[in-house]
Amino acid sequence: MTGTAWREIILRSAPLLALVVLIVAITLLAGLADAVTVRRVILSLVNVVAVVGLYIFMGNSGVLNFSSVGFMAIGAYVAALLTMPANAKGMFLPDLPGWLMVAELPALAGPFIGGAVSSILALVVGLPIMRLSGIAAAIATFSLMFICYIVLGNWTSLTGGQISLMGLKSYVGLWTACAFAVGAIGVAFAYQETRWALALRASREDAVAASACGLRVAALRLGAFVLSAFVCGVGGALYGHFQGTLRVESFYLDPTFLLVTMLVVGGMRSLTGAVIGCLSISLLTELLRLVEVGVPVPGTTFTVAAAAGFGDVVLAALMLLILIFRPNGITGGREVLGNLARTWGRK
Amino acid sequence: MNALVQIVVDALSLGGLYALTALGIGLIFSVMRLANFAHAELVTCAAYALFALSAHPLVMAVAGSVLVAVALAVVTERLAFRTLRSADPTTMMIASFTVSMLIQKILVFSIGSRPKSLDPVPVLSQAVWIGGAQVSLLKLVTIAVCAVLLLALTIFLRRTSFGLQMRAAAENFTMARLTGVRANAVIVAAFALSGVLAAVVALLFTAQSGFVQPRLGVPLMITAFVATVIGGMGSLTGAAIGGLLVGVVTTLLQAFLPPDLRPFREAFLFALVILALLVKPNGLFPARGLKERI
Amino acid sequence: MTALLQIDALSVSYGRISALRDVSLHVNTGEIVAIVGPNGAGKSTLLATIAGLVRPSTGTIQFRGQSVTGQPLERTVRRGIALVPEGRHVFGGLTVFENLKLGATIRRDRVAVAAEIAQYMALFPILSERRNEPAGQLSGGEQQMLVIARGMLSNPALLMLDEPSLGLAPRITDQVYDLIESVRQRGVTVLAVEQNADRALRSADRTYVLNSGSVRLSGPSADLRGKPEFEAAYFGLGQAGADK
Repeated sequence: MTGTAWREIILRSAPLLALVVLIVAITLLAGLADAVTVRRVILSLVNVVAVVGLYIFMGNSGVLNFSSVGFMAIGAYVAALLTMPANAKGMFLPDLPGWLMVAELPALAGPFIGGAVSSILALVVGLPIMRLSGIAAAIATFSLMFICYIVLGNWTSLTGGQISLMGLKSYVGLWTACAFAVGAIGVAFAYQETRWALALRASREDAVAASACGLRVAALRLGAFVLSAFVCGVGGALYGHFQGTLRVESFYLDPTFLLVTMLVVGGMRSLTGAVIGCLSISLLTELLRLVEVGVPVPGTTFTVAAAAGFGDVVLAALMLLILIFRPNGITGGREVLGNLARTWGRK
Repeated sequence: MNALVQIVVDALSLGGLYALTALGIGLIFSVMRLANFAHAELVTCAAYALFALSAHPLVMAVAGSVLVAVALAVVTERLAFRTLRSADPTTMMIASFTVSMLIQKILVFSIGSRPKSLDPVPVLSQAVWIGGAQVSLLKLVTIAVCAVLLLALTIFLRRTSFGLQMRAAAENFTMARLTGVRANAVIVAAFALSGVLAAVVALLFTAQSGFVQPRLGVPLMITAFVATVIGGMGSLTGAAIGGLLVGVVTTLLQAFLPPDLRPFREAFLFALVILALLVKPNGLFPARGLKERI
Repeated sequence: MTALLQIDALSVSYGRISALRDVSLHVNTGEIVAIVGPNGAGKSTLLATIAGLVRPSTGTIQFRGQSVTGQPLERTVRRGIALVPEGRHVFGGLTVFENLKLGATIRRDRVAVAAEIAQYMALFPILSERRNEPAGQLSGGEQQMLVIARGMLSNPALLMLDEPSLGLAPRITDQVYDLIESVRQRGVTVLAVEQNADRALRSADRTYVLNSGSVRLSGPSADLRGKPEFEAAYFGLGQAGADK
């Protein structure tokens, strides 16, 4: 390859490199912090995986998707059931089929198999649903999330139903979470550089014109949906193994809205927007939590503390303000450093 | 026979509540293409107003709750949605989520998340007999109130000149403005009306459930939202019929699913929703002029 | 004498694309003025800017001596400007009668409105026949009549028509222009945009030729008819000389 070609590739990858540096820097910094902060950072990194998974479909296709939390739940339960020790399963889920009862795969196989099962289900349900656009698509994916929630919450023999599933192997530490976050960002970036993603973004701007150009919009969307479900499934598995316990309630309305809001606040149409949205809302949440716990005023013995629940109010208000003043998100839907290739690459 | 009467009463009263909620959502959507998830909190806050005024006569409590819901609807429009009118529908929808979240969190923060019990209309808790079947008076009243409100709304939209302006704005907002229809007046009126509908729903719903908590309106709103989409987003007839339909299907599933599948009732409902959308992506009564927007 | 509508040095751009460049024109009370030009000349943009749908980047629009730039859309018709947009925007789901009633949204004199609606129904019996049917079911020509009648019901001083003959059969086009002439008889000034230059030159008192966003030629229609300069301006030939 010639020098200019390499230069082009490096410049095009600038957003990816910037994001990886950001994630690694956060991880390094968190390594110096106390145990509570470390846990919050791990959770943020797991959320990065989930929001990036959501972005892969929503960002490239422009179609609203509320089902990602459902795929996270599937990934989480699959990973848990396949890796939990048999005796723990025997305690919580005495009615499991025999083969599943004895299955005890290595922990790290969990996220990948969980993601794979999610993506297979996404392929099956996406086949018809990907023909829908706009509000119909939003409601159909919303319905999917509901169906996941209701089925998992009532399939007592398999999931324990409304009771929590405990005793998941806890292996999701700071660097594991970092590695998966970087991996998810890498997958999303690699995907958006493909010609399928380019075609999908063309259909986002004008679906009719794209179809007229011979693009098979439903098939393109399906591809992104399946990949998105895989990454979300991985995110769900990490979430479960980070918490150590699983409840279906963790995969219902609140996280659905939170993840979509993170994406939209950051800027739904760019990967940097997805990551920045997720990290900035995580940071805000953390700061507001500190305010609720109490902040000592320097030089005095006073601490300033807000009443419990106040942080949630401020967080919701801030998210609304961001949307009102930056309707296209913090990044405005552009890749940060994405102009490098265009401005310098031509020389 | 008795069972049949009960099922019909159940289906119509549930469907009526969904229809009223769906109309509240549909009104806003038809004039400004906003899928207003914060409609849930109009219902919730109206219910809290009923709770707060429960020591006063019913008329005052109802008037107070209507006032609260209308004021809240108009304030959310003015502070949040007006500035986003030209934003794309996704952003508007997400903004309505955050408005919904914000109000919920304020309620949790100021009142607490524990349910408060109330019984706004105790008279209605008795049962009446229809042709040998025992049915709850409350459900019959619910059906009657829903029917009266649907009729009143139809007359308002069909027979008054402001109703005509609202329908024109729903069909082609820009053209309506060019004929002199005042955009802000129509949109504020739509929000106020949705507030009135929400307050009525709050009264009927809390009379059944007997309590209020910060997320009271959320499940109602979600089901009603689904109903508007099935009926045809932007079509008010569609919203009303979609609401009734969802109520009827829910009741039928509850009545006729085998007992061990009943916990999955809503999964069947939402699977039917997806099927309905695949067959008719624009709903049963597709609205006109959905694409035209400023 | 001041013109009813006076436009000076008007420029409009959509992002980087400039749609109108330094357009100046005027319309006197009682005139029928036509603006002709090929597709993409900026004709519709001009009407949309006068109506307040589009904001100009520079220039002024004065109506009855008052500036109308940057006003909210619903004020346009209250000032006395009615726009009949391209593509016959009837409210297809509302009945014919409701469409006519909407035309009089800004009026309070109900009796006079009812009388005028009756007049239009007498003029176009089909509107009367179908008064309670959805307007979307009318034919293209019938819809055009309905939209013009709807515009007239606001009692405007200036009626602006965007491509009134677009997609209509020649016989129907003649009817539309008869209606426009009768509009003028009622003392209403007319500004019409037309791609059909021939038709416009026959009916308008004065004509402006717009091409690529600029006025290339203007004058009394009778003077322009059949002139080689007219065709050159219309098709954008020899532009350098034409805009002098």
